[in-house]
Amino acid sequence: MKGEEIRPSRLRWWWLVGAFATLTVAGLVAILMGAVDLDARSVLLSVVDRLPFVDVDSGLNGRQEAILWELRMPRVALGGIVGAMLAAAGGSYQGSFRNPLADPYLLGAAAGAGLGATIAIAYGASLPSTPIDALPLLAFIGGVGGVAATYAIGYSVKAGRTPVTLILAGVAVAAFLTAVQTYLQQRNAETLREVYGWILGRLSTVGWGEVWLVLPYVVASTVVILLGARRLDVLSVGDDEAVTLGVDPSRVRLVMVLAATLGTAAVVAVSGLIGFVGIIVPHAVRIVFGSSYRVVLPLSIVFGAAFLILADLLARTIASPAEIPIGVVTAFFGAPFFAIVLRSSRGLGS
Amino acid sequence: MTVALSLSGISVRFNGSRILDSVDLEIAQGEWLGIIGPNGAGKTTLLRAITGAVEFEGSVTIEGNRSSTLKRRDLARSVALVPQHPVLPPGMRVVDYVLLGRTPHVHAVTGPSHHDLDVVARTLEALTLSAFTDRDVTTLSGGELQRAVIARALAQESQILLLDEPTTALDIGKQQEVLELVDRLRKDRTLTVVSAMHDLTIAAQFPDRLVMLAEGRVVAEGDGRTVLDPVLIRDHYSADVRILDDGSGGIVVVPLRSQEPMSDSKN
Repeated sequence: MKGEEIRPSRLRWWWLVGAFATLTVAGLVAILMGAVDLDARSVLLSVVDRLPFVDVDSGLNGRQEAILWELRMPRVALGGIVGAMLAAAGGSYQGSFRNPLADPYLLGAAAGAGLGATIAIAYGASLPSTPIDALPLLAFIGGVGGVAATYAIGYSVKAGRTPVTLILAGVAVAAFLTAVQTYLQQRNAETLREVYGWILGRLSTVGWGEVWLVLPYVVASTVVILLGARRLDVLSVGDDEAVTLGVDPSRVRLVMVLAATLGTAAVVAVSGLIGFVGIIVPHAVRIVFGSSYRVVLPLSIVFGAAFLILADLLARTIASPAEIPIGVVTAFFGAPFFAIVLRSSRGLGS
Repeated sequence: MTVALSLSGISVRFNGSRILDSVDLEIAQGEWLGIIGPNGAGKTTLLRAITGAVEFEGSVTIEGNRSSTLKRRDLARSVALVPQHPVLPPGMRVVDYVLLGRTPHVHAVTGPSHHDLDVVARTLEALTLSAFTDRDVTTLSGGELQRAVIARALAQESQILLLDEPTTALDIGKQQEVLELVDRLRKDRTLTVVSAMHDLTIAAQFPDRLVMLAEGRVVAEGDGRTVLDPVLIRDHYSADVRILDDGSGGIVVVPLRSQEPMSDSKN
């Protein structure tokens, strides 16, 4: 038997093409649809018009141009970036902890970011001014701080330390931070609605500022996650066996969790807490394309982007002109899916 | 004799209790050493110390290099382990599982080379797994699975193969099949084999030499007839056995039931 006769799992190029085609369609639909519908031809011409040395008349009036370039497009871009990051981070956490139900918020990132955001919203007026808005800054710091606290506690456990130790430390940290956050929220009832809106997630954005703010983190994070895919496959046989295969499991876990956490904290800072994307997208990819992380991670990034763009489209069109929090949309579809995964999964960490 | 693996003063403590207590061993290249001993004697811990999966005092020297000076990756190129209870990732196919054995050779980013795939293909063939390459590892039968796990270890192409009770879950026919396979591979590839073993009769048949561990110490060392001694076995396993000739030069260890069932025969 020769090497050419075996078919190890790998990312097939046509899967990637299919995934990008899905993303493109999702992006186009989301750009065209909304409170003001734009027609495809005009949008295309408007894009062409922005190319250097090209000057065509798109037929869009000034208001439509503004909707397209300053509302619709940045929002779709932000949705794609957030979705890609959450899906990649979810896959990374699931591989690192060998836990199919791990999500990017597992180790206290969500609770920390929630606390940071609540502080920013409730006490924003009295905080010293910073070069960027206090809300994303504090949410980011809170998210990273939550995971750092989890790691510090997890690593202080001397004997019998396993990946589960870290997850349990995350439970403790999240419970504590959520308690503080809820207390602050109750003390400042006048901002309750705003805090609540942030926690349920929203992608409402004007202009490209937030896109450029998070993009560097997301690119760096996803590159590290993609490069670690093969290591996550090795980790799937357990820490002990990974050692005998020449891999240091705690180092792999640290790098993958760090990358996923930085990226997650960055997107949470601008989008709030959007649940379930990090679980349902990698799982759907796993079911359709196989369980190797070299397949799951790249495809999750692309499908995660498409999924969140479509979820946001629903969030802003179902009850138009009102918006539903996007977290409600992802959970509405995510929770039933999650139940199915739970039914068919073979037990935690096995 | 070329020494493939040398252990000197290996001690392992866990939560204050001593699992291994200054174990010294030398294993020649191409030799098969069997490690026997009662449950909890430290057999698995000894194998884990050799792979670097557990912290220990003393030194492990592999082909002339102290293991503590080797990078993890280089150590994995020298020593492969077949675990007693392998973790089977749901949904992983046999070919991907065996390819994991190439991890210490594969470039982390660019992935497996043609050579890596050739090694995997040859290993699958050698272990008659060619028909199973696309099967989910969690659906294999006991014998198929054991061959897949051994295939993964062989794909590492390391000269030292550690087997942790490789036949515990197998029926008697599959036990023989797997151990004959290991013996054939050992001779074909001049592998050095160290196996922890449960079944004393089988331990008498396959390894060149046996070591008996009890409470973390080496209590006997030598060929089967020396180590498989009724007094030693009574002392360390608390078992009454009789050693019989199998009629063709080998020995058989037969457990005896004491004359008075349920009476205290341990002392």
